[in-house]
Amino acid sequence: MKKLFLLSIVVLSSCKEDDATPSAPINDNFNPSTATLLKSGSLTGIGHTVSGTVALYDTGSEKIILLDPFSSQNGPDLKVYLSKDQNASSYISLGVLKSTSGKQSYEIPGDPDITDYNYVMVWCEQFTVVFGRAEVKL
Amino acid sequence: MRSLVLLFFLFLCITVATAQQNLSISNSIDLGIGIGSSQATLSSAYIHNWNLGKKQKIQIGLGGRLTGYLGANQYYTTAPAKLTSGKTGPGVFFTENIEANIDTFLIAKPQTFAINAMINLGYKVTQKITLGFNIDAIGFSFGGAKRGNYINGSQGQNLTSKPTSFNLLLVSDNDLGSLNSEFYGKYQLTEKLALKAGFQFLFTEYTTDLEVQQFPDPNDRFRNKSSMFTAGVSFNLN
Repeated sequence: MKKLFLLSIVVLSSCKEDDATPSAPINDNFNPSTATLLKSGSLTGIGHTVSGTVALYDTGSEKIILLDPFSSQNGPDLKVYLSKDQNASSYISLGVLKSTSGKQSYEIPGDPDITDYNYVMVWCEQFTVVFGRAEVKL
Repeated sequence: MRSLVLLFFLFLCITVATAQQNLSISNSIDLGIGIGSSQATLSSAYIHNWNLGKKQKIQIGLGGRLTGYLGANQYYTTAPAKLTSGKTGPGVFFTENIEANIDTFLIAKPQTFAINAMINLGYKVTQKITLGFNIDAIGFSFGGAKRGNYINGSQGQNLTSKPTSFNLLLVSDNDLGSLNSEFYGKYQLTEKLALKAGFQFLFTEYTTDLEVQQFPDPNDRFRNKSSMFTAGVSFNLN
């Protein structure tokens, strides 16, 4: 009975990395030469294939996170998190990952104190799985 | 409140039936499995029924139930009625949820166990078929600590939570903790063995380590409402 119970859960909850995130390369028109670089770092995959460079910019009117270059393994419900620590104990969600490849920019909402936030993550929210992470430093 | 009304009704019926001497007693052990979307339950219950009426077709019973719940990637939402409905008391049953007050706590692998006293109501449609309803009334829950993702717009926190310890049936979102209920049909295969099938409605609840929700009031309780199909067997102990 217990085996049947566990089997049913496994069958019902299997995390298949379907193509929920667009995969066509994109090229956002954010121009970093017009903004001040605050922090940057390199993305590393965590049990998944993710690579690229992350940079935080201040344009004067808003703060932007730029992923360029960027590539990620596809998965469902992928979000971009700006986090205070590597466990996302406290984070700001920058929204849905626009594409698994290409230059993409995300506005940081709420004008937070960026010095408190040291990690950028690609996070599968539905299944609570971190795909990739970058420590961003001055 | 609802549990008190049910208990009052139960004892009233038993008293009346006893006075009329149209009373028999039956005891059973029920084992069941519930299957829903990315979630499942295993339950076992001992039920002591009083069979009432001229032909003793009405069953009213008390018992105890152990419900084990296992889920995957389940969304728990703000639990207290004061937040979900803006008030407490029986009136919440008829009140629309206040969406702005309801935040989400996403748990990847929730697993809770609840031991509750339960109330059973049944009606023997034929000699072989019984239809009924049962509901947990009071008890306690236990289970391991689980880390979850508190999602509040663009802000979020991942933090630890535990199953809410105390369970109590009240009215709608006034309820506390983890409570199981089911509508069922039972088919008597033999004198001792019956098959059961039905529909289960289960509340499970986690309490976060911190009062992670701050608006409009601090809150650390988050509830999941699960609907599942159930099937099982019932062993007559008489």
